[in-house]
Amino acid sequence: MTLNGKRPDLDAIIALIPPKARVLDLGCGDGELLARLIHERQVLARGVELSEANVRACIARGLSVRQGNIEEGLADYPDGAFDYVILSQTLAYLDHPTPVVNEMLRVGQRAVISFENAGYWRTRWRMLRGQGIGGDLCSGEARARAITLPQFEALAACVQAKIESVRLFAGDKPVRAFPTWQARIAIYVLSRAQAMV
Amino acid sequence: MLVKTQYFHYDGEIQLQSGATLGPITLAYETYGQLNKDRSNAILICHAWSGDAHVAGRHSPDDPKPGWWDDAVGPGKAFDTDKYFVVCSNVIGGCGGSTGPSSINPKTGRPYGLSFPIVTIADMVEAQRLLTDHLGIERWLTVGGGSMGGMQALQWTVSYPARVRSAIVLAATARLSPQTIALNEVPRQAIYADPNWNNGDYYGKTPPNAGLAVARMIGHITFLSDASMREKFGRRLHNGSEGYGWRFDPEFEVERYLNYRGHSFTKRFDANSFLYLSKAMDYFDLSYGLPSLADAFRKVTAKFLVVSYTSDWLYPSWQSKELVRALLQNDIDVTYVEIDSNYGHDAFLLEVDRLAELTRDFLRRVESAH
Repeated sequence: MTLNGKRPDLDAIIALIPPKARVLDLGCGDGELLARLIHERQVLARGVELSEANVRACIARGLSVRQGNIEEGLADYPDGAFDYVILSQTLAYLDHPTPVVNEMLRVGQRAVISFENAGYWRTRWRMLRGQGIGGDLCSGEARARAITLPQFEALAACVQAKIESVRLFAGDKPVRAFPTWQARIAIYVLSRAQAMV
Repeated sequence: MLVKTQYFHYDGEIQLQSGATLGPITLAYETYGQLNKDRSNAILICHAWSGDAHVAGRHSPDDPKPGWWDDAVGPGKAFDTDKYFVVCSNVIGGCGGSTGPSSINPKTGRPYGLSFPIVTIADMVEAQRLLTDHLGIERWLTVGGGSMGGMQALQWTVSYPARVRSAIVLAATARLSPQTIALNEVPRQAIYADPNWNNGDYYGKTPPNAGLAVARMIGHITFLSDASMREKFGRRLHNGSEGYGWRFDPEFEVERYLNYRGHSFTKRFDANSFLYLSKAMDYFDLSYGLPSLADAFRKVTAKFLVVSYTSDWLYPSWQSKELVRALLQNDIDVTYVEIDSNYGHDAFLLEVDRLAELTRDFLRRVESAH
């Protein structure tokens, strides 16, 4: 998903990742984020991606990527295999987000999750005008879920995750006031609050 | 590209996985391209069930047919012989010039037949290791192959982890499924049922061609897919015939194809080798004697490119995914692609454009890593 072709969340995600971290990007697309993380943060980068064309694009960038859906991709990794597991702009497309977030916190120390806030005032305004959420139905875009900030925080609570930090953006500027209305993009960093029983 | 088959002779014996020994050993092999100064550009291609050392090029200018994977091996191709030194050897147990059941047993002066010991994928790799030493190659840049060739590539990473920088595993598995064992057993039964087989003792007499042809026909069914058969043959009748002949001769294009393939195979392949190689695959299970498949890869350091094909029902994608999972459990660098193809198991030989791109990108990364 792009905002006028830009991915303002990528810069913010890169800023969150320390050098030489072990990073898994779920739904890594054509590998842009991973390639930048290798270049700017010298991370150990791994990716999971569903589309064959995207996987081949990743390999062309010199990345180590496995083709598969996010659920099976995650199940393959041992506990704590990564420092960071990233789910960038993909949460809205998951049928079952809870087990995925749970698994992210199993294979990684931290989960970085970015998504479009459905509570953003422009989105609410579109809804009020009866224009719906997401693209045109004929755009071919997969079905996406509308997720708001309180909804996401409830999800974090239900998987007993601790919210370590939140970054909120409208356009490429950080949001300070009225986040549930003002934020267009949210980036959450989660960790496991306590050992799962 | 003109090439010549060469022969490596080893006078000693090797200990086989079964406990038996085999020796002396001859391996037929071919090489393409130039080994560089630091010997870091050597690639071993492992062939599948019916393959041989002649992977690419022609033996003479008027040779009607190039090697079995000429589309993928040569100047500027997936395995670029302008850049790499490519080696391919015929497996032991085979009939393409390496020691196998049709070779003369030096102890008796007669062909081995069924007195040839059972060989495994690990034994094939052990023989290739002797050739590797002979060629002065300390470490392969990559060992790659499809089907039984992919199994050898996997076995190399496990048997000699320090001597393989990467492996390219196409349309293969770390252990045969019961369905594939079943699809190997029926062809074997077809050979046993041919009276000319005579418990493997037919050299110098009429070989069991009827049994071997049926065996190969079954093989060809498993190499294709429902979709590729519909595309390639449909229900078309041979010779553009408009109506049925109301008799038992092969009439459908698909029947003619299988008959032709089955019978032409008997001219170039030995029935006993067919049996031994199928048995080697049935026994292939890297987790044999271990708690899990992941335990097989504990010492492995190679980088992997694993490729499966959506319509391959002989080595379906779930088997490659099982392999990928076992590798990831060991924190091994794995790239996995499932290529969307209708060609069935044969796709690894036919989808060379996409393979060329993957191989080039993958090898570039392997070469840049230390």
